[in-house]
Amino acid sequence: MRSSPYAVLPARTLRAAVVLALAAGAVTVAPAAQAEPTAPADRTADTTASAPAAKPYMGWSSWSMQSSKYPGLNPDGDYSYLTEANVLKQTDALATKLKKFGYEYVNIDAGWWSDKSWKPGYDQYGRQKADPDRFPSGMKAVADRIHAKGLKAGIYLPVGLEKGAYGGGKVPIWNADGCTTADIVYGDLRTTNGWDSAYKLDFSRPCTQKYIDSQARSIADWGYDFLKLDGVGPGSGKSGDQYDNVADVAAWHKAIAATGRPIHLELSWSLDIGHAADWKKYSNGWRVDTDVECYCNTLVSWENSVDDRWDDTPAWTRHAGPGGWNDLDALDVGNGEMDGLTKAERQSYATLWAIAKSPLYTGDDLTRLDSYGLSLLTNREVIAIDQGAAPPARPVTASDPQQVWAAKNPDGTYTVALFNLADAPAAVTADWTALGFTGKAAVRDLWNHENLGTYQNKITQSLPAHGSRLFTVTPRGSTLTTTAYEAESPANTLSGNASVADCSACSGGKKTGNLYLGGKLRFNDVVVGKAGTYWVKVAYISGDARSVDVFANTGNPTRHKFPSTGDWGTVETVSVPVTLKAGSNTITFDSGTGYAPDIDRIDVPKTS
Amino acid sequence: MDMEPAHLPRRALLAAAATTGALAALPTFTATAVPQRPADTTAFTNDPRHQLWWRAPADDGSMIEQGLPVGNGRLGALASNDPGRETLLITDATMWTGGLNDSLDADGQFPYDRDHFGSFTLLARLTVDIPDHDLSAVTGYRRTLDLDRAVVTTSYVRSRVTYRREIFASRPDDVIVLHFTQSGGGRYTGTVTLAGTHGEDAGTSFAASFPGGLRYGAAVTAHGDGGRVTVDGPHVSFSGCEELTVVVSGGTNYVPDAATHYRNPSLDPERLARTKVRDAAAHSAATLLRTHVADHRRLYGRMDLSLGTSSAEQRSLDTWERLRARARDEQPDPELEAAYLQFGRYLMISGSRGSLPLGLQGLWLDGNDPDWMGDYHTDINIQMNYWMADRAGLSDCFDALTDYCLAQLPSWTDLTHRLFNDPRNRYRNSTGKIAGWTLAISTNPHGGNGWWWHPAGNAWLCNSLWEHYEFTRSSSHLERIYPLLKGACEFWEARLLTTTLPGTTREVLIADSDWSPEHGPLDAKGITYVQELVWTLFGNYCAAAAELKRDTGYADTVAALRRGLYLPQVSPTTGWLEEWMSPDNLGETTHRHLSPLVGLFPGDRIRPDGSTPAEIVKGATALLTARGTESFGWANAWRSLCRARLKDAETAYRLVVNNLRPSTDGGNGTAPNLFDIYEVAEGRGIFQIDANFGTPAAMIEMLLYSRPGHLELLPALPDAWAASGSLTGAGARGGFVVDLRWQDGRPTWARIRSVGGRTTTVAYAGTVRTVRLKPGESVTLKDLAR
Repeated sequence: MRSSPYAVLPARTLRAAVVLALAAGAVTVAPAAQAEPTAPADRTADTTASAPAAKPYMGWSSWSMQSSKYPGLNPDGDYSYLTEANVLKQTDALATKLKKFGYEYVNIDAGWWSDKSWKPGYDQYGRQKADPDRFPSGMKAVADRIHAKGLKAGIYLPVGLEKGAYGGGKVPIWNADGCTTADIVYGDLRTTNGWDSAYKLDFSRPCTQKYIDSQARSIADWGYDFLKLDGVGPGSGKSGDQYDNVADVAAWHKAIAATGRPIHLELSWSLDIGHAADWKKYSNGWRVDTDVECYCNTLVSWENSVDDRWDDTPAWTRHAGPGGWNDLDALDVGNGEMDGLTKAERQSYATLWAIAKSPLYTGDDLTRLDSYGLSLLTNREVIAIDQGAAPPARPVTASDPQQVWAAKNPDGTYTVALFNLADAPAAVTADWTALGFTGKAAVRDLWNHENLGTYQNKITQSLPAHGSRLFTVTPRGSTLTTTAYEAESPANTLSGNASVADCSACSGGKKTGNLYLGGKLRFNDVVVGKAGTYWVKVAYISGDARSVDVFANTGNPTRHKFPSTGDWGTVETVSVPVTLKAGSNTITFDSGTGYAPDIDRIDVPKTS
Repeated sequence: MDMEPAHLPRRALLAAAATTGALAALPTFTATAVPQRPADTTAFTNDPRHQLWWRAPADDGSMIEQGLPVGNGRLGALASNDPGRETLLITDATMWTGGLNDSLDADGQFPYDRDHFGSFTLLARLTVDIPDHDLSAVTGYRRTLDLDRAVVTTSYVRSRVTYRREIFASRPDDVIVLHFTQSGGGRYTGTVTLAGTHGEDAGTSFAASFPGGLRYGAAVTAHGDGGRVTVDGPHVSFSGCEELTVVVSGGTNYVPDAATHYRNPSLDPERLARTKVRDAAAHSAATLLRTHVADHRRLYGRMDLSLGTSSAEQRSLDTWERLRARARDEQPDPELEAAYLQFGRYLMISGSRGSLPLGLQGLWLDGNDPDWMGDYHTDINIQMNYWMADRAGLSDCFDALTDYCLAQLPSWTDLTHRLFNDPRNRYRNSTGKIAGWTLAISTNPHGGNGWWWHPAGNAWLCNSLWEHYEFTRSSSHLERIYPLLKGACEFWEARLLTTTLPGTTREVLIADSDWSPEHGPLDAKGITYVQELVWTLFGNYCAAAAELKRDTGYADTVAALRRGLYLPQVSPTTGWLEEWMSPDNLGETTHRHLSPLVGLFPGDRIRPDGSTPAEIVKGATALLTARGTESFGWANAWRSLCRARLKDAETAYRLVVNNLRPSTDGGNGTAPNLFDIYEVAEGRGIFQIDANFGTPAAMIEMLLYSRPGHLELLPALPDAWAASGSLTGAGARGGFVVDLRWQDGRPTWARIRSVGGRTTTVAYAGTVRTVRLKPGESVTLKDLAR
């Protein structure tokens, strides 16, 4: 009422949004039509509620501090950080320090309905109810206070009917005559979600959608703009029918639409990539990995589990886009001591999140950001990578300790990130041929706001342990020309169990697979004009991350890990360096003692 | 005669001291004479053949793999070269905990711990923080180790300013210097911090002592141009400096003198360090550098090596990429391989001058508690450390080993007499007699032993000391080592047992119960390792006595003992030269040690030239083959040396190449900084310096074989180096220095210079020439390959 929570929306939609805010503030049933203005053009008509995710969202979440044993954060027991006072303190800090950079969501995570001994509370309709100790003013008042700062409010629920809400099956469902909790679950009270903390909802029963509608109604009435639905499967460490919550997510999608309030629906955690189409259809974002938090004396630690994201994100890259984004979890880079990370690690963390176009929500104590943390969170050039029109980056080299990620931008430039994931400083090279062009290119360093000049053929930089660089590369040379060699070509030599198989996604409709336990694929006549190191682009398929030994001629193999392509029907590419002599060469892909990806094709640059 | 006049007074002094029986205890950290400053101000050449370079620095977690070593022979450091935080882990060769350690454990062996036996340990940590120069914010990072000048240079660009720093450890000024410069209008702002690593407070200087009584201390000073440098609590702060010079020094009150229990009670190391940094800082960094380079080059320039020409592609890679490419492509990289050898020489010059000798890690540590205490291992490692020195024109650097043995001898003798025949010691003399001296597998600088007794360690050390005499023909050296040789012989005279060989009536002398390092039975008599070493010791002693015209009667006794020694035979079961007096393989087939092959290398008893029964050569070769080529560092180096002796060029080279494999994730091989890494446990690699000397020794041995009276050119030249190459300044046993050029696998030119030798044959393939020279004379041979 005091100001619009939708300040960042384009001017034309602003007026409608203000109307909506007024309506929501009056706790009336908002007409569905009012939810229309922000619906993106490329989504189906029934996805009106996902409008807020035109870009990855930015903000703050409570969970990192709740989950940490960092001294002083949770003085009243585990997870006790979550209180109205703390949320409002962070709201104020977000508004003061970060709002002008695009950060807008203040997200209340798990526990708002539990007391400090983690005992949950429910209303007379089996819906989660604010814990009066944590949130004495109630959830609506908090949302109002957040909105008053020109920010958006987020809230959290686990998927399913929480066991504590069941009430012997006798609890009535709000606004659903004759329905009780017994009517929305399975007769055998099978459990669901990542912790088996809820009874699985049976959506074949007419009362069940009503329960979700009632939860959505509360949240909308309170004025929340964002819901994190947690423990969702397949995912959250679970699989199988019992943990398949696709119907729950669909029901939430429908229920949110019915409220008329645009509420961003975010799913958590480690969602099953096999259901990516469902998540895209019904939600605005999905956590691709486990919690980033370490549940230790800091908020996170590099190994537990920031660094997992480099391996786990590439399979998801193609699924990100307006309306739904790959969520890498909280970005805890604001205070080195509390985060438990080095400066280099914090920069790499922020770099990956930005280039992957993950939502950018920090879990830091915003009242205690250090100057370096503030500079990371407020670098406009880096935020623009995350929020701009360019596609998310993916690895252009193998997932080796030194790796390069890139995205080709609509304006012809490239976003290029260099990573050194090794535990010691190392040089990392981005070779222009791995990006698809040759010759010169101008390089801008985004973190340091500096034009570095023009680089011929490649750029090499020294990176600290777990370090990174982030560049915009503007080609000034020419397009790379390559020679393709198909893996299924009869000119190749297959050994072990290696065999040619059909592959609809592959060039030529075939690939070479069964590269395991000694299986090898050798390209026999790879011709280049000049001796040198060539970045050979490998088109491959691998439903999980797999390694392969690569060598030219009689050299010794170099083992490279190829990131997962997400399934066995999708082709992706990475480039690997191979040293070739002038004239004819062999290039061998050897599974060695393990299981290697299926190979579709290699493209060998005509110049090294 | 091309001897360094500067050495003569010192040699003379030591010889005089030795003859009076009171060893001259040259304090290792002491006020030094005013350095001689070279007048020459000519620019230094930057020959890329002598430069190693990298595109990335080290950090705290990777100092041993990526830190760059500097040292002045006594005072050393590993430098991180991180732009935003330069870190130097500073060592002094005498910085050792522990003491005499003369209470045996219940098993009659020595305690082997950091308190009693002690450990080599860090002296100090110096950091120079420049917060604005975070590695993530600079571009064009590069650092270079110039082996020829012994300078580490780091350069990078920050906001269009090129910054550059040079680090070197000066022997003449006895300090480490860090000189920071820039071009383009940049400024340095930050802090310098000197801190002890044993709980001492940071400050511009500090002092402390160990429970064993050793005092130590260090000091730092800094000055800048165009800005402010101030002492700020425990730090030195600098701001707005166009240029900055930091000077650090330190040391201990150790003296190599058993009579004073290895301490100089009147020496205040902190005060001395303060004096040294103050005196050095009175000179410009350019002057300090010039003085240092002249001093280093005096030794470094004595040998040069070319193994051929590398490709432009190879040259474009940094040292680490080059190692990886070498392993991946299996393409020889002759300049890298030659630089690897020169790096070994650089380490020797930096780590073995005027103080204690090089232990398991030489002068360089990344923590206070190195594996095996960073000690002196006498069953291969310390010997290997010094196989290269004489071969590589660095005979001066060998003196640290001689000095050490002499300084320890009174204590080793005392401990032998008091403790060796302890009834709990399984290795005690069953004869009940005791004489002379011996030691344990591990030794410290405080006169103490650690771990198990190692009876034959005395013989092996003496044989190394004798070989140095063979290379240098230095009579003063012979005078000095004679008591060591004689004492070792006396020990064996008391220990040897007479036995009748089974199935014969032949009586032989065999060594009492012992352990062939470091496998198989613990109590075997007459093991090959000991028989060979003692046989060589006795021979060397007799030669020494003859040269010095001393102890004729005793020499006859020793000669008779030598004739009675049992020498190993070939096992009818395995076909190998026996390691134990048994036809059976009682140990590990591919064990790292080549103890039963000490007669092949470093010994001369087993020779493939027809002078040794073919069956013995065959048995030795079979054993070597069984040991394999896939061991690690020093074990591969020793194998390579043996292969060179057998003229098996390609296997010798393969073993060198195996050691050049890049070490990743702690695996065996060569680290980015060229330190040799031994994987002690899955994923945990440690630095052991012996391979950094053993591998170069093997490379030289492939190009030049020598024993007194006989030289052989290119005995095991591998195809990879055959096209063309040259070696100048290589030491040869018999007292010669050899320069050599080759083309298409054959020598085209050789010059033999006498440094004391008089007659030798020089052979290549079937051609043999006899050369007669007086000391200082040389002869050129051009037609050996015709």
